[in-house]
Amino acid sequence: MSDPIGASVRRGGGYDRVTGRQKYVGDLHLEDLLHVKLVHLDVARARIRSIDTTAAAAFEGVRCVLTSADLGQPAPRFGPVYEDRPILALGETKYHGQPVAAVAAETKAAAEAAAELVRVDYEELPGVFTVAAALDPASPIVQEPELRPDDPLRRTNTLRERRYGWGNVDAARADLVVENKRIIARVLKLPLASVRIIAPDSGGAFGGKQHPKYEPLVAVLAQRTGRPVRLVLTLEETFQEVRRTSCEIHARTGFNADGTIAFQDIQSNFLMGAYADIAERVIAKSNYLACGPYRVPNARIIARALLSHTTPSTAFRGFGTPQVAWAHESQMDAAARQLGLDRVEIRLRNLARKGETFVPNDTPADGNWAESVRKAAAAIGWGTPLGPGHGRGIAVAIKESATTGASYAIVRLHWDGSATVLAGTSDMGQGARTVLAQIAANELRIPVESVRVVMGDTAVVPFDLQTSASRSTVFMGQAVMRACQDIKTQLGYDSPPLGEGRVGVSSTDLTDLLQTRFGAVRGEVIGVGSMRREYLAEHPLGEMASFYEFSCTASEVAVDPETGEVALVRHVTVADVGKAINPQQVQGQDEGAAVMGLGHTLMEHLILDDRGRIKNLGALDYRIPTSKDVPLEMCSLVVENADGPGPYGAKGAGEGGLMPTAPAVASAVTEATGVVIRDLPLTPERVWQEIQRHERGRQAGSDR
Amino acid sequence: MIRVTVNGSSHALDVMDSTTLLDLLRDRLGLTGTKECCDLGECGACTILVEGRSVNSCLVLAAEANGQSITTIEGVASDGRLNRLQDAFLEKGAVQCGFCIPGQVMAAEYLLRQNPHPSAADVKEGLCGNLCRCGAYEQIIEAVLAANQTSRESLSPSGGGQGGGR
Amino acid sequence: MHPFAYTRPATLSDVLALLDKHGGEACLLAGGTDLVVELRNRSRRPSIVIDIKQVKELAPTIGETERGLRIGATVVMADIEKDSRIRRHFPALVEAAATVGSIQIRNRATLTGNICHASPAADTAPALLVYGAEVNVASVRGTRRVTLDQFFVGPGKTVLKRGELVTSIDLPLADNRRAATFTRLTRRRGVDLATINLCCKVEAGGRTTFAYGAVGPRPFLATDDSGMLADPRASDAAKDEILRRLLTKATPISDVRGSREYRRAMLLVMSRRALRTAIDRLQDDRFPSPSTGGQDDRFPSPSGGGKGGGA
Repeated sequence: MSDPIGASVRRGGGYDRVTGRQKYVGDLHLEDLLHVKLVHLDVARARIRSIDTTAAAAFEGVRCVLTSADLGQPAPRFGPVYEDRPILALGETKYHGQPVAAVAAETKAAAEAAAELVRVDYEELPGVFTVAAALDPASPIVQEPELRPDDPLRRTNTLRERRYGWGNVDAARADLVVENKRIIARVLKLPLASVRIIAPDSGGAFGGKQHPKYEPLVAVLAQRTGRPVRLVLTLEETFQEVRRTSCEIHARTGFNADGTIAFQDIQSNFLMGAYADIAERVIAKSNYLACGPYRVPNARIIARALLSHTTPSTAFRGFGTPQVAWAHESQMDAAARQLGLDRVEIRLRNLARKGETFVPNDTPADGNWAESVRKAAAAIGWGTPLGPGHGRGIAVAIKESATTGASYAIVRLHWDGSATVLAGTSDMGQGARTVLAQIAANELRIPVESVRVVMGDTAVVPFDLQTSASRSTVFMGQAVMRACQDIKTQLGYDSPPLGEGRVGVSSTDLTDLLQTRFGAVRGEVIGVGSMRREYLAEHPLGEMASFYEFSCTASEVAVDPETGEVALVRHVTVADVGKAINPQQVQGQDEGAAVMGLGHTLMEHLILDDRGRIKNLGALDYRIPTSKDVPLEMCSLVVENADGPGPYGAKGAGEGGLMPTAPAVASAVTEATGVVIRDLPLTPERVWQEIQRHERGRQAGSDR
Repeated sequence: MIRVTVNGSSHALDVMDSTTLLDLLRDRLGLTGTKECCDLGECGACTILVEGRSVNSCLVLAAEANGQSITTIEGVASDGRLNRLQDAFLEKGAVQCGFCIPGQVMAAEYLLRQNPHPSAADVKEGLCGNLCRCGAYEQIIEAVLAANQTSRESLSPSGGGQGGGR
Repeated sequence: MHPFAYTRPATLSDVLALLDKHGGEACLLAGGTDLVVELRNRSRRPSIVIDIKQVKELAPTIGETERGLRIGATVVMADIEKDSRIRRHFPALVEAAATVGSIQIRNRATLTGNICHASPAADTAPALLVYGAEVNVASVRGTRRVTLDQFFVGPGKTVLKRGELVTSIDLPLADNRRAATFTRLTRRRGVDLATINLCCKVEAGGRTTFAYGAVGPRPFLATDDSGMLADPRASDAAKDEILRRLLTKATPISDVRGSREYRRAMLLVMSRRALRTAIDRLQDDRFPSPSTGGQDDRFPSPSGGGKGGGA
């Protein structure tokens, strides 16, 4: 039997996905189903004077029309941390597209027609749409102060201000101070497939499905009507449902003459939208590592979570890391330019070494990060001659992985030598089903094909906190491994450890063992395993990192100076994964993350008008990469030092390839054009504008 | 009343004139492998073949298909045997969350019927109307090129790969 | 979708009678790639949708007339791309048609629909304009022919009157040697709406014709009869001066696809490039034979990829 660990085993669930049999929520056939249509206004903030549902309720086939008036007093609010979000707009809409009513009807057509008959009398109000407005004391207050009566910040638009730091920034001496006043990571983004809300295998989530948005509404409608109810959002509506948190980061970084960092002084303002969702956690966690993977003797980080009259933001692949990486990597490049240092070298001089504590009282550096950087530099041909108009860039990023967590697994070893793994993980595309099967197969020494992984049915699977933060291979992987060990203990079946010269017990041996044990009456062995990490009261994030997701990207671009178009010539990602349990899936995740990262780097952004309305809802004017927008060459590499806390030394993967994309590409654009750009995305127009400004500056200089 | 042949079976159906072909397939015939996403013809998730031509079924009225022959993702595999493209998609790791995959397979099927030996650039062009938010384009392109290799070896439409040659 | 009645008449006279009867309540359906979207988002609410794809007089054929080619109302973009006569005589139209949406779209979208929709950014419009396309119109009252330049009025507006439909588009063959090219600027390389698009035609006699889209309420023509633009000996500065003068007709606006300033600047950049390509093609005997399929040829060769066939 070949070793299943490190093998590119075919995706579990893949057959159903290529044949169209995979059922997502929108595909499930439910008897007696009602269809829901939301009612929203084409304004951002508005006072609702009245809602007349008479005509809608009378429309043929309509079973329920719901407004917040139907939800009792006080109106229920929900949220994963802050319970601030009403089920439907309450008194006023707080962002463009917030539903004010919902219609449930027998057919989609009836729901749609009736939704149009809901009459809303409203008055548009001025709103808060930018960081500057959110910080301005004269601006309207987004959140009702009574929702946080004891909070001294309740009469501001700051939901929370986090302060992290060590050393003494004000006393720190530096030879060079690099200051960037306006680093805006306007990386706003939405998952294309997030129209499906809950499902056995949910489809791509990328963060958007992590916490409830419209689920309470659907539940209320089901309760009122006594019928199953389905809400399928239009793609336009998903843009108004969730987004990545936008931000402005002001970084002041001190460097010594040798390029080592003397201090980091960071102020970041994240515009989280009208409701907190999980965004405050995104801001807290990403800013906690706002200094990046570097040795920083003195640090001061002030991170504000600001409320605004814009779409609520939430977890999104990378969980705030792409934004802070854009800031710290822009600073490294600026210092390299001003100190005359190579951009790879300045990073190598500052990267924390394996085992070194780089954030006081937290997990030390858990990987050989310099190895990743050297690998990326070599693969991009760093230092070799470049064609005209070409440039290269390199960047790193680090994400605090899962902190606390609890994953439980049950493994049933059947009498014929096959096994069923019960795991609460959701296979949203990352391939958890496959990886968990590989782990069970390896531990039990049975073929991967003999393992079935059951997920997504809470009547069957044990508790799992969540599928998030690249945790599943580590957390659920460990739980499955331990459940298998439990089985082996029960059986007295001690398979040799993974390693060189291993001679596995063949599955025939195992079958003999099971049949001898159970005889004609038959039976099975049930193993239970878990992995938990508890809260640590004094830790600002509740617990130290279980591992770090470290990633390095190097990119070569060609820029058309006349049009500002950026072409990706070659793109390299390196992921420090500890151990690639399924190399093909790791590659798919990392390259997929890079392509998604190229989206927010080059084209994706939500454009608001001056009244806070999204001007580019939907697929027509919100551009994401297509098959023609991928780099001409892509190369994804891994570093495997078996130094992670997961099975066989694995760490999490899947977000890394996205995190340093923007700074790597921007650095390459700078080398190609001589222009430094601090705003994303790098659309042709923006690159062109910056080149023009640079040219004008140069001409003004030479005229004098 | 309209008559359509879907994956070789003929159906006579009474539909509202405003029903799209996508809704007909999904809601009336239960063929949910064809996905609904952007409703604009931008994402390609609803790609099917009508009279052998790839189309976005969200932009076709059911009534327009009266008398026509339709192939959906459910009609690509025969007797549980994956066709060469489906097999190559799995072999090359082109499937992640899976939502776009039926559309990708149908667009690729059309591409290979039009151009049995495409270059990588041809594949990129042929599939640029099928968005993949997982960003698996590299693997998808590889899969289509590999399926082309397979089809050269075996002319049977559902032939390649099952024998485990690769 | 708002409910409507669907009908699929078999003859042109039936279509015209229906149009006459229902007037503004009727919508014509050919490819449906614009109409079905508008029906779904309820921006159009006809009481009747008339599918013209089974009309025998409107069969999807590209015919030959004494003066040139006649493209029937139901001919789709994919057919335009494949037709050897269009490829030979009207290569810029092939280049333009190949950029319209994805292949799935081009398998449905008709050339006539693209024109009748009258989007200022319609990609086929600049090519049809420089080739002097004419539009054949029919109604119960009779038929008429208008030049495409006369046909466009404004965004979504044409000279078509109540009860009229376009039966075909005529493309006259050239009486002298000429070369043309289509190009456009987009936000990404894959399927996109044009930020600006243009077509440039250079004739052996020295006359140069440009047509521009997405930079005014309707696509428009701009012609230089001085011969300077086509003259290989003329200086870049002199050519720029003429181009700038031609471009004063452009009135771009700022929208989500680009600012007025960027569009203005790109008009000059893209015009220069298109002019160079057209002149090169005029001098190249092997031309015409346009590269197909919207290959990514808008970029100066990022080392070794994506370039289409020679030309």
